Formats: sequence, C-alpha cells, structure tokens
Amino acid sequence: MTAELDPLIHVPTRLRIVATLAALPDGDALSFTRLQDMLGLTPGNLIIQLRKLEEAGYISRTKTRNGSAQKTMVTLTSLGRAALRAYTRALRDLLGGLDIDAPSPGNTVDEISAERMRS
Amino acid sequence: MDDTAGTAPGGGFDPRQAAALLDKSTRQARRAFTPLTPLLLTFRAVVALVVFGGCWLSVRGQHPYTGHISSWAIAVAVVLVVINIGWTAWLIGRAGTGVSGPAQRRWQAWTGIMAAAWIIGYAITAPEWHAGSGHPTWGLYPASAPLLIIGLAGAAIAAAFRYWLLAGTALAIAAAAAAAGFGGPAGSWLILGIGLCAVFLGAAAFTAWRQRRNTVRP
Repeated sequence: MTAELDPLIHVPTRLRIVATLAALPDGDALSFTRLQDMLGLTPGNLIIQLRKLEEAGYISRTKTRNGSAQKTMVTLTSLGRAALRAYTRALRDLLGGLDIDAPSPGNTVDEISAERMRS
Repeated sequence: MDDTAGTAPGGGFDPRQAAALLDKSTRQARRAFTPLTPLLLTFRAVVALVVFGGCWLSVRGQHPYTGHISSWAIAVAVVLVVINIGWTAWLIGRAGTGVSGPAQRRWQAWTGIMAAAWIIGYAITAPEWHAGSGHPTWGLYPASAPLLIIGLAGAAIAAAFRYWLLAGTALAIAAAAAAAGFGGPAGSWLILGIGLCAVFLGAAAFTAWRQRRNTVRP
C-alpha cells in the first residue's frame, strides 16, 4: 500500500505555511504581516495560498480593524494540524526503506512509490 | 516563491525534498517563536559564572570574613544583568511579534509573574542591607535565599502553566541555591556560580536539541 500525500499540503509554499503555523501552540494566531516576513512571500501569493488552505478548512483567518488599519490573523485549525500530522506520517511511510539522504533529482511521487515497490 | 519552486519535472514535488523542506521550515519557525534562545541561555550561564564568581573572588580571602564585595564585582554584575534583561526583553518582543492567542497571553502572564518574583526575591534582602546584618549571615544569605525562593516559586508557576522545561530549570536553580547554602559564607557564591552555569548550559543544550530535531527525517 502506498502512502498518499495530501495534495493540498504537498506544494512547497503551502507546506511552508502550514509548517510555520504548526510551530505555534494550538489556538494561537499569527499576523499576515509576520507570516509574510517569515516566508518571504509576496502578499498576493500568500493570499492565494491561504485562500486554498482556508477553503479546505486547514486554516482560519480573522480580520480586526483598529482605526483605519486592518489586521489579518491566521490560525491553523485542528483539521489543519491533523492534516499535517497525516502528511508527515505519509511522508515517513513513503520514505521508509529508501535512503532519504540520497539525491533524487526529478523523482515524482509515482517514481518514489515504484522505487519503494522494487526495493 | 511560486508553487512550482522545488518541484520535479512533471509537476511532482519530490517527497525527499518535501521532507527536507518540512524539517527546515519547522526548525526555522521554532527558532523564530522561541523567546529564550540557546544563545541567551548560554550567555546567562556565563553571567552566572562571572557575577557569582566575582563575588566569590571578593570575599574568599577575607580574614576575618567581612562579606564586603568589591565595587568592580558589583559594577560587572550590574552591567551583565542589565544586558541580560535588555536582551531578554528584546527576544521576547521579537518572538511574540504578530502572535496572539491563549498561549501567548499565558506566556505574557508568566513573564510578568517571573519579573515580579525576581524583584521580590532580591528586594527582601534590602532590609538585611539596611540593618547591617551579621557578616556570616550576610555572606550566606544573599547567595542562596533569593534564588531558592525564586527557583521554587518559578518551578511551581511554570508547572501550573505546563512549561516543563522552565519548571525543570527553575527547580534546578532552587537546588543549586540550596546546595550553595552548605558552602559557607564565601563558598556559597562559588557553588551558586558553578551550579547556575551548569543549569543554564543544560537548558541551552536542551533548547537547541528541541529546536533542531527533525519532524520527518531521523
């Protein structure tokens, strides 16, 4: 049986977002600005990725207004944490038995799975 | 960075790259959100050794024992403690920037309580100074009693907050302070300096290990 990687998380930018938010204690939120600074993303790109994660219920966004300034806070939901845990387990399963430090240029998920089947 | 960055031909994102990216991102985030960094804890170890070692150097050759600590040792202690407080405040502010929620509020409450505990712990020694208490008592008391109180209070409060590393560190500080109580008027300073240095180095090593451990890869 091949471990399946959540396609929503299995994208570099979204993986970094989820991993960053998961480092916060459960229930804590991070401001959009700090998240953007930490990841070095453009606001537009971050908004797009957050929207996809929000549609899946992995994150939640709350907007607060202080005078004319609007602040967006981002939280990883319990569903998002569970999804990251499942993704991490799937990665471990997928990489189990392989030399995970070996370079693997160009390998796709299917090629890795096939390699595991052969080994 | 766009979605295709780091992906393999055909749009697949190599699981090995994903594992490396997940580990790296997690480590970076842990470092960013950790207020008490290994470097700060190592600095505190040096501060403890220098400050209490300086006190010990001041009093160790006194015959008869007067408990008088030289002004250079006090000056060095003040400078290092001020740097420690400033650096700690800066790191706490940096780690908490843009973070809100119940855990963040708990942390702010913890820092407030511990700041008060440090002030109270040393403020209670002021009457001793003012009263000009006996030198043998004075030589023993300021080294061990304040840190015994702060360590025990800190351990209880940290345990209540479920900050297990801080609870362990505070308990170890109290243990070092208690051990210093058996060192005599002069030796207590040295025992406390070495004890606190070891405690902070241990906390620094554990924090560094916790930050660096991988999520996916062994």
